[in-house]
Amino acid sequence: MRAAAQGFAASWEGVRAGYGGADVLHGCTAEVAAGECVALLGPNGAGKTTLTRLLVGLLRPRAGRVRVGDWDVASRRPDEMARRVGYVFQHADQQLFARTVREDAAFGPRQLGLGDGGVREVLEELGLDDVADRHPYDLPAPLRKLASVAGVLAMRPGVLVLDEPTAGFDRGLRARFVAAVRRRLDAGVTVIAVTHDLALVATLAQRELVLEEGRVVSDHRL
Amino acid sequence: MSALPRFDGCSYRYPGADRPALAGITFEVGRGEVVAVGGEVGAGSSTLLLVAGGYAPRLLGGALEGTRACAAMRPAIVFATPWTQLTGLYQTVRGEVAFGPASFGWPRERVLAHAREALAQVGAAHLAGRDPATLSGGELQRVIVAGALAMEPDLLLLDDPAAELDPAGADTLYALLARLAATGVTVLVATPDLDRVARVASRAVRLDAGRIVGDGPPTEVLA
Amino acid sequence: MIGYLPGRSAVHRAHPYTPLALAVGIFLLAFAFRTPGAVWLVVVAALAFAAMGGVLGAVLRPAALLAIPTWVLLSVLHGLLGGPPHVALGPLLFSVPGGERALVFGGRVTAILLAFLTVLATVSPGRLVEAMTARGVPFGRVYLLVSTLTVVPRLRVRVRQIVDAQQCRGLRLGGSPLARLRALGPLVVPLVLSALAEVDEQALALDVRGGSMAGGRTALDPPEDRAPDRAVRWVMLLAVVAAYAARFLGRGP
Repeated sequence: MRAAAQGFAASWEGVRAGYGGADVLHGCTAEVAAGECVALLGPNGAGKTTLTRLLVGLLRPRAGRVRVGDWDVASRRPDEMARRVGYVFQHADQQLFARTVREDAAFGPRQLGLGDGGVREVLEELGLDDVADRHPYDLPAPLRKLASVAGVLAMRPGVLVLDEPTAGFDRGLRARFVAAVRRRLDAGVTVIAVTHDLALVATLAQRELVLEEGRVVSDHRL
Repeated sequence: MSALPRFDGCSYRYPGADRPALAGITFEVGRGEVVAVGGEVGAGSSTLLLVAGGYAPRLLGGALEGTRACAAMRPAIVFATPWTQLTGLYQTVRGEVAFGPASFGWPRERVLAHAREALAQVGAAHLAGRDPATLSGGELQRVIVAGALAMEPDLLLLDDPAAELDPAGADTLYALLARLAATGVTVLVATPDLDRVARVASRAVRLDAGRIVGDGPPTEVLA
Repeated sequence: MIGYLPGRSAVHRAHPYTPLALAVGIFLLAFAFRTPGAVWLVVVAALAFAAMGGVLGAVLRPAALLAIPTWVLLSVLHGLLGGPPHVALGPLLFSVPGGERALVFGGRVTAILLAFLTVLATVSPGRLVEAMTARGVPFGRVYLLVSTLTVVPRLRVRVRQIVDAQQCRGLRLGGSPLARLRALGPLVVPLVLSALAEVDEQALALDVRGGSMAGGRTALDPPEDRAPDRAVRWVMLLAVVAAYAARFLGRGP
């Protein structure tokens, strides 16, 4: 596998953040070391997705600080944060727009000036090479989701954020996905996974952060 | 007495498709049985559910060959993507869940009672007054399942019904399926969650390229 | 843009058919009249309609955003290119009859925008569904109307999701006009494709829950159609008939 960018540490210090008039996170503090895989767990509404959106600058903290490596996220736009953080959205297939799976996977790397070189590799790795020249919307939904994952991995992020990444995958797709994430972990990429899939946590995560009502209530090594 | 899904050499092809999505399907399901349907993406699991409920070819078009007897009086189906199953017409969860039984023209009180009971069965009674647009994925999935249950089906078809649920929610759902089967509801569930479905299903069928390649105990067929 | 804004105004509490009838009536009256004075009275009526619904502040901005391009076009087409007599406005010669035509057409557009935006803001989709179901309207037509009324808020959510996702793939928003134009593809194409895919899935999901069933649906909470509601709709109908009768007889303003 072509080397990913180095893994970065990520941290949230005393972060207060939310939507509209309400706060979802109330003085949340947490840290993920470079190259670590951390699972974010907690009931619906605990703030897991809010925490991850802060990392890519899609949400600004109302108080506190969010960092990725030496970058203070508050001073960066989301398209700048894309150079360090790859975000696999829960409904990732909504971002597909190109005429082929290959072209769509190349979109992110081209935006970052990385060229197309690594795209073929990622498609092969995820078993998408035989559908690479098909229109994404000709594929069933689980394969469209995997195609979106390919687009994020092709950007070679140093931090990979996964929001419910395995929902909808059958056994085969899940295995391909897990293997790809495992390879990146082994190469030093930081992985943060928001997931209810405890089997995925057991396979990949080294640490578990549990959130409840906008605060970290438990942080332990697995 | 409702007839149950029985397939005899059944094939189904979607409109405009080169090859059939189901081919030579022969099997039948007993009343009150829970049957797991397994297979890789594209194997035909979702299509089997659509055909079993009589939704294909009636609503989807396409061509059905062979014999499919599944004149269940009230099938209900839950698809894998809960957010596309909201009508978007109601400001409350109660209204969404009542949509299905209201289609039958039942008296108002009966419709509302079924909606209430269905929400309670999936552990979502507290969501009745909520705006569906504010629900999380897991909450939404429970509401969609409740919408199917409110129709008082005798054949319940579920496509990956716990994809958005947390582990406790998924356990609750599968336990509910077992309870429903005990009351005589026939359940077909397509899911990659082999551990949970094996606990409640008495039988599994595995599909590959539209054909049944395994039919027997879940632990053997889906391993 | 705008969607339903909950409230307790008289318009919110009215039977859903009443604000719909008022909006259609304003639309018809705007075309019945031909002089600027009369058309702008209809605009005033539309403003009053919005104010009664407690949504005047909410509808003015989107109405202005939508109406301004039309006003600019009308001013150029009729005001600057119209025939004599002319009046000097700074360096420009403005046609008087052209200006009147611009006021009439622009007034019509403004009145219609205000009236229909008020309907979007004050008519609860759920109440409208119940009202139409209680009247025995087939569900297909109910869905067509109500989903049209709610399309903008739904699309807005999806647009947000797509913008977020593409920014996280390195798409920079803003910049030069060319850069903005190039950014449209990755934003608009997935919006259309995913919306179309979802329409298919949603149509099936509605059908399997009995949306296409023949026979009556149960209305669970039909809004009451009180005497004042019916009276308002009758008055509006009579006003429209009178306006068109006057126009037909050559006596209308």
